[in-house]
Amino acid sequence: MEYVPILLLFVLGFGFAVFSVTIAEVTGPRRFNKAKQEGYECGIEPSPQPVVGGGRMPVAYYLTAMLFILFDIEMVFLYPFAVTADALGVFGLVEIVLFIATVAFAYAYVWRRGGLDWN
Amino acid sequence: MTVSVYEEIAFWILGPLSLAGALGMLFSRSAVHSALWLVLTMLSLGVLYMVQDAPFLGIVQIIVYTGAIMMLFLFVLMLAGRESSDSVVEVLRGQRIWASLLGIGLAGLVVAGVARSLGDVTPAGLDNPAANGSGGPGNVANIGQSLFTRYLFPFELTSALLITAAIGAMVLAYTRKQAKGGKNRQREMVNMRFRENTRPGALPGPGVFATADSVATPALLPDGSIAKESLSRIIETTPVTQIEEDEALADRHPDAHALTGAARDGDDGASIVASPASEERSE
Amino acid sequence: MSARELIANDPTWLSLVKAVLVFALLLVITILLIWFERRVLGRMQQRPGPNRVGPFGLLQTVADALKLAFKEDIRPKLADNWVYFLAPAISAGAAFLAFSVIPLGGQVNLFGYQTSLQLADMPVSLLVVLACSSVGVYGIVLGGWSSGSPYPLLGALRSAAQVISYEIAMGLSFVAVILFAGSLSTGDIVDAQGQGGVWYAFLLPVSFVIYVISMVGETNRAPFDLAEAESELIGGYHTEYSSIKFAMFFLGEYVNMVTVSAVATTLFLGGWHAPFWLGGVGGGVLNTGWWPLLWFLLKVVFMLFIFVWLRGALPRMRYDQFMKLGWKVLVPVNLVWIVAVVAVRTMRNTGVGTAQLLTIIGIVVVVVLAIVLLLPNRPAASDVEEVPVTGGDHPLPPLDLEVPKVPKRKPVAAAPAPELSAEEEGVPDGRA
Repeated sequence: MEYVPILLLFVLGFGFAVFSVTIAEVTGPRRFNKAKQEGYECGIEPSPQPVVGGGRMPVAYYLTAMLFILFDIEMVFLYPFAVTADALGVFGLVEIVLFIATVAFAYAYVWRRGGLDWN
Repeated sequence: MTVSVYEEIAFWILGPLSLAGALGMLFSRSAVHSALWLVLTMLSLGVLYMVQDAPFLGIVQIIVYTGAIMMLFLFVLMLAGRESSDSVVEVLRGQRIWASLLGIGLAGLVVAGVARSLGDVTPAGLDNPAANGSGGPGNVANIGQSLFTRYLFPFELTSALLITAAIGAMVLAYTRKQAKGGKNRQREMVNMRFRENTRPGALPGPGVFATADSVATPALLPDGSIAKESLSRIIETTPVTQIEEDEALADRHPDAHALTGAARDGDDGASIVASPASEERSE
Repeated sequence: MSARELIANDPTWLSLVKAVLVFALLLVITILLIWFERRVLGRMQQRPGPNRVGPFGLLQTVADALKLAFKEDIRPKLADNWVYFLAPAISAGAAFLAFSVIPLGGQVNLFGYQTSLQLADMPVSLLVVLACSSVGVYGIVLGGWSSGSPYPLLGALRSAAQVISYEIAMGLSFVAVILFAGSLSTGDIVDAQGQGGVWYAFLLPVSFVIYVISMVGETNRAPFDLAEAESELIGGYHTEYSSIKFAMFFLGEYVNMVTVSAVATTLFLGGWHAPFWLGGVGGGVLNTGWWPLLWFLLKVVFMLFIFVWLRGALPRMRYDQFMKLGWKVLVPVNLVWIVAVVAVRTMRNTGVGTAQLLTIIGIVVVVVLAIVLLLPNRPAASDVEEVPVTGGDHPLPPLDLEVPKVPKRKPVAAAPAPELSAEEEGVPDGRA
């Protein structure tokens, strides 16, 4: 029941977006040619394989996504802690320092091995 | 336990949706489409949790699973490239047998857990202040209270799991090249560019004139001569002879009418004044 | 009554009215924001900005939007049909959804109902904002991937890596606020600031600064717009998009700007409460009725002005610098700050007096400083190829240069100018 307003806004916003995206096919002129429908590569012939670097991307992106999961989970644990921190008192403080320190250990390891460096 | 009308409606919408997502994940051909179907399943599950009085769990499901884990999946799929197809060769021996055994085992565990919860467990309600004796207000506080007192040990173990994940990712992704002595980093490349002191900025773009709008058209300097840097050898459509001709022209023909064709034909040489700039360039 | 209780009493039709109002408000703000940005940037760059369509050019955005609707909708041959179609809708839809939990004002009378000027509130509303932004990343990634062209894919990966990196800093900066408000509900957070009388921006300045930096990174705005640097690269993840589909990405970006500004207002700037120097006027009359909407909008406009100001003032960062700032500065500072805030708050709760608290903080600071000072310095790696700051090939004057006095000039009699050729006159370029 609480979520009905959110659902309404979702329907409005998403519906508007989908409607606009659909209507674009109708309202605009349709004068296609081969060059228009090719991928944009600054005027040179598009590469046949639509991925650069022999189809591979820098692995640093994978590492970033992995670290993101790590910190996302840490973040998600910190929220209920923040709500209950007053009730938990000193005990809670010790707990959360331990938790953050453990994750910080992983973080320091990744930093030292150069996992946070971009080039 | 009563089920409200809203909950029932939500279930009959979201249940089929999540099932459709799971089936779509199995049957779609492209790996990215599979991942997207899985996202649909995750989202539906998240909303189902929220409808069933577990807003924190539901929103965390969306943030962590759709936001982080599925994003990692997508990144990995894109790293592998769009055209790469699934390998059907078994890399690990007996992988399929083990996978099916473990899958069946997991399914058994889940079914057993669900069956037990339907039978002899009385639901306390996640929103109930007295659920775990915390007396705290609402769902999030209850979860916090349980997590940080009763389930403290599993919670701290999670951080150990996170360390394992980080180290595993590092070991997988780490290459020598990323350490020292490999490819130049952006910082070193900027330094190098300024050290060499030729042209720190971008090269001039192609010329766009009334006569041509091709990228192969050389740009002109203010005095009308051809800017040699604007001639690019990597444009496949330009014949090599054309580039050589243009380069030769750029070296010794600072003529305002270089592109009209007249100057190109009438190469009398009388009007050629070698400018200091063009001499420097030709060195 | 708290905002949640008020909203829970809303009948469905009232929720619908509110949803339509919020939706319309977002559209209108976006339209005005684009105009505002262009005018302010114009002012900063000594030019008028759009001033032709409507009074002060106000309708320029409307004209642009209408024009985009009648542009040709090009779909690249290699594009993945469904995903290419879905990506802009996800981008814009998620951006709209995030605004649903923002409190725009306090208790008002809307069509005979006592309700709160807020569409929805629940125990986890703050997380709805985070969830929407993590779903919004799909718009970027899928838009880039489905175009079937290398540049959008690269731009999408970079944008997405950037957004998720800064989402961490953003989410961590919420923690201290939640700690003080004791709730994840946006309505409660605003109430807590009203009752305490102190905005969290002043109470928790580190969190506020980190949030402001990460919100700029999160929305891909200058100086962090390096993945779609329009003046250096082509467009980034939306290179292959045209007509309304492109406009949807654009709309999503601007609605996101409004949303993160509204979140900043809610969490750190007291939400819809009147500025504290006006809070006492007339027994707090400025905090009742429809006045809060004014304060809320003013604060949002202030945050939006900061966005525009940053764009006008700062040069774009390099990608490695940007990621370094996110991962090596914002995240660790945030974690240390969270631990410090939790520690101080716990000590206050257990009855440690101010004097004792300050002493403990002083001891900790001294110990940390001592450790930092006692750690041996690592010898700086000698870089044989280091570029000298001065004395390189660039013509720089020596540091101890004495400027000679300018000799007095004699009035020159009108002598016939000697005929000098171009070279002799020292004109750098001898072309006549």
